[in-house]
Amino acid sequence: MLTHVKNRIESIINNINQLPSIPEVASHVLNMVNNPDIDFKQVAAEISKDQALTTNLLKLCNSAYFSKGKEISSLDRAIVTLGIKEVKDAVLVIATRTVLDKVVMGYDLTKGMLWQHGVAVAMMAKKIAMLTGEKARADIAFTGGLIHDVGKTVLALFVQNVFKDIMNAVENQSLSFHSAEKEIMGFDHQEIGEKVLEKWKFPEILKDIVRFHHQPFESSETNRKMVSIVHIANSVCLMAGIGIGSDGLFHELSTEAIALTGLADVQLESLYSEIPELLNQTKDIV
Amino acid sequence: MKALINVGVAQIGFANQPSVLRTILGSCVGICIYDRMKKMGGMAHVLLPNKIGDGKDEKYADTAIPILINHLLKDGCKKEFMSAKIAGGASMFKFKSNISLGEIGSRNVQVAREILQKHGIPLMEEDVGGSIGRVLDFFMEDGRMKVKAAGEEKLFYKV
Repeated sequence: MLTHVKNRIESIINNINQLPSIPEVASHVLNMVNNPDIDFKQVAAEISKDQALTTNLLKLCNSAYFSKGKEISSLDRAIVTLGIKEVKDAVLVIATRTVLDKVVMGYDLTKGMLWQHGVAVAMMAKKIAMLTGEKARADIAFTGGLIHDVGKTVLALFVQNVFKDIMNAVENQSLSFHSAEKEIMGFDHQEIGEKVLEKWKFPEILKDIVRFHHQPFESSETNRKMVSIVHIANSVCLMAGIGIGSDGLFHELSTEAIALTGLADVQLESLYSEIPELLNQTKDIV
Repeated sequence: MKALINVGVAQIGFANQPSVLRTILGSCVGICIYDRMKKMGGMAHVLLPNKIGDGKDEKYADTAIPILINHLLKDGCKKEFMSAKIAGGASMFKFKSNISLGEIGSRNVQVAREILQKHGIPLMEEDVGGSIGRVLDFFMEDGRMKVKAAGEEKLFYKV
């Protein structure tokens, strides 16, 4: 373990101002939607507090992926036509773009790659949720998929400096990349991502998805299936090369996670083989 | 004019000297075929080994490679001057052997080799397997292939 690196990372995660931010409205909307008694007018009122976000949101709601062909001219229409959960997902897409759509040095991701990866994993996770009896929580799979790698944006510069040490730990100790990150730097990108979500005041289930997407069976039992869904979506997208970086495929594909979702081999292969069609859909959003 | 042409998942790209074809690979395989006399070539980025059902031909090694070869022949390339290089076919670092998805990388490599052989295109060099993600650049000026992976670059010159 490189103590000086660990100390520098610690000082960043303990200083909330050094972690990425998203518009406050996005966190409010996310938490409002979690409340089953919420009135959609209150959500619309909250969103409209942020004029820039509202403008971009209406544009996004009219994209092929979200609109499903219906013309949407106002926030109220968006919520009524698409549903409050879909609108929440669209709000999160807009809110997290500036955080995720950038060069991520140490992971060798050029501008746009981490963003495209997040959007692809979001769509894939939502698709898997629908296939595995989690229609009611498909929006959570989407949001979780979108932001699962947010910790990489904070850790990138450190990874760049110690990349050789991390790869040596991967090769000599047969560690997955995230375990090697922790071995060398004292933290992995999942833990840093969880800290970012704490700052954003995101709910526990999303924190669990971010914190355990490479090791779904260490998450709490209540959240384990959703974490597993994002774990599988991430694996399938990485295998197809979507957002693959210097950490490559040095990750584990969890048999237990697959068993928990009940996905059969042939379903997994078909999800993988439909990646080109899914990428076409991401074009609306990225 | 020298151009950098990105070849996406399940796409086939073609170029002339001095352009460069680029793709990014995980378990997929990039198949590069070059005509050393015409100094032109093409690259296929395949997801899966064999076509089953009614998927798009460009997704599968056994249907994409013939498209790639025939397009080059139509553009005036000759089989006796063509040669191939392949890269990709990585696998997840850890997975249990009962998950067939885990084997896709090596199956892609195996079938790509077989299909090239079946069509009489010599496979000169390959950089396959492992768990690395690869950025593959294929240069039309001399048919060389550059693989950037895990912070290192490798060059393959044989044509």
